[in-house]
Amino acid sequence: MPGLSAWALDLGVGPINGDFELVEAGVAFAIFAFLPLCQISAGHASVDIFTAKLPMRINRVLQLGIDVIFAIVLISIAYQLYNGMLSKQSYGDTTFLLQFPIWWAYAASLSGAVLTAVIAFYVAGIRAVECLRGEDILSQEPGLDL
Amino acid sequence: MSNLEIGLASFPALLILIFIRVPIGLAMFLVGLVGLYFTTGSFNLPLARLKSETFSTFSSYSLSIVPMFLLMGHFATLGGMSSALFKAAESFLGHRKGGIAMAAIGACAGFGSICGSSLATAATMGRVALPQLRKYGYSGGFSTATLAAGGTLGILIPPSIVLVIYAILTEQNIAKLFLAAFIPGILAALGYVIAISIYVRLHPEAAGVKAAVPYAERFAALFKVWPVLLVFALVVGGIYQGWFTPTEGAAVGAAGTGFIAWMNKGLTRSTLIESFLVTAKSSAMIFFIILGAGFYNGFLALTQVPQEISNFVVSQGFSPWVVLSIILLFYLVFGCLMDSLSMILLTIPIFFPVIVELDFGMSQEQIAIWFGILVLIVVEVGLITPPVGMNLFVINAMDRSTPLVQTYKVVMYFVASDIARVILLVAFPAITLFWLRA
Repeated sequence: MPGLSAWALDLGVGPINGDFELVEAGVAFAIFAFLPLCQISAGHASVDIFTAKLPMRINRVLQLGIDVIFAIVLISIAYQLYNGMLSKQSYGDTTFLLQFPIWWAYAASLSGAVLTAVIAFYVAGIRAVECLRGEDILSQEPGLDL
Repeated sequence: MSNLEIGLASFPALLILIFIRVPIGLAMFLVGLVGLYFTTGSFNLPLARLKSETFSTFSSYSLSIVPMFLLMGHFATLGGMSSALFKAAESFLGHRKGGIAMAAIGACAGFGSICGSSLATAATMGRVALPQLRKYGYSGGFSTATLAAGGTLGILIPPSIVLVIYAILTEQNIAKLFLAAFIPGILAALGYVIAISIYVRLHPEAAGVKAAVPYAERFAALFKVWPVLLVFALVVGGIYQGWFTPTEGAAVGAAGTGFIAWMNKGLTRSTLIESFLVTAKSSAMIFFIILGAGFYNGFLALTQVPQEISNFVVSQGFSPWVVLSIILLFYLVFGCLMDSLSMILLTIPIFFPVIVELDFGMSQEQIAIWFGILVLIVVEVGLITPPVGMNLFVINAMDRSTPLVQTYKVVMYFVASDIARVILLVAFPAITLFWLRA
């Protein structure tokens, strides 16, 4: 359809300069921004057919262990992302077409990573309270969507 | 311990973690981290990798297709398209023996062409078809089993999120994989229809009768399906024709289904927010699994385990067909325990190098595509295999009056149909590769 594309190009429709780079920076930010939601709603996929038969008490202790480790991992991820951002900043790396500094994209993602780490820490705390009180506060249901 | 031993020891470690309910992404991440500690002697390497690996994994142009397809699937469930599809299929098939169940399968296949998720397809079509099946006297277990099986068409018929992940892992062309999945998807629907007709012949009491619909009404119902056809043709055709990249195609599809949902008054402020929230949550979950898998597979590659397994299998001179059968059998068993995406992320880096080195009399690309479709199918069978098929649970939750055991009994007919199809596709790779002949 050469006529149509010529017409569209005349109207100013065309490739956006650096669309790849923008999508890449955007999707990283988006996923880091989605992670806190996944964390607080226990949205991570897991296999629970073997633990379903265990007593509630053991399951609570198990969940506490898992969420404490999860918190440590997510805090390390946020911290190392911060270090990664600092090194990108010191090298002055920029993207290929738009030439914006890569550390900007890191910084945007870091905001989500920090929030995720805080929430993971909070969830681990809640699990400890659940263990002590012997009652559920947050959901443990996995949210599988595939 | 040698690196190879550490690598091999990581398999049971990972399985134990997963089975004590550690989230799959976290389990792979942890085993990768600890494995790197043992192979390199310190945490320096894994920590250094973390500086850029989270960002570089998430900032992927090709992976940005995943949230788009998820959103498209959620919009599709809102749009009244499921009931239009079911009514059209019902008007053509409903008067046959077991015809309403066949119509449910047909509608699932149609819905699968705009939705890449199995559970969403099963749940959406369940809402529409279960009441009709009950109205015409179809037995509970028969109805639930049909919809659980029909749901798997959601992933098999393109677009398919799991297939996208496979394409990225094995560096294959997404458009070609979508095209290759098409004929096996149609075969799956036909196989299920055959399973239904066998079942109703053996159990005539399980299905009632419905009067035939005049042809004018049939075509009127069929006409209402056009938005689905349009979106499917635009997305899959557009990607294949090279009008846009797969990511752009997915964005067009999400916008298109969103627009149709809005036209049908299914998209309101609250359903829009709900769709965004669920998409965000699922995307975060999937990307975290991808991150964990990347970390684990990076460690595994360092221990040389995949290469050694591949060398071993090739040097032993096993028949390629035996190796393939064992791998597929493995998926069939483990597919009953784990979700399809995690299975593929976990196992493809180990099995894929083995498979492409074997001599099936095909090019590497052909083997890669053929193997991808086979794996997709066997992993999906796990969704409807008792005792823990996810689709069975989803459908049974919608029909509390039917005990799960009754669903289990009938679903075996569909599992048998699946297995027959896998054997057919293994024996004749040309069926899968039909549209890819150069």
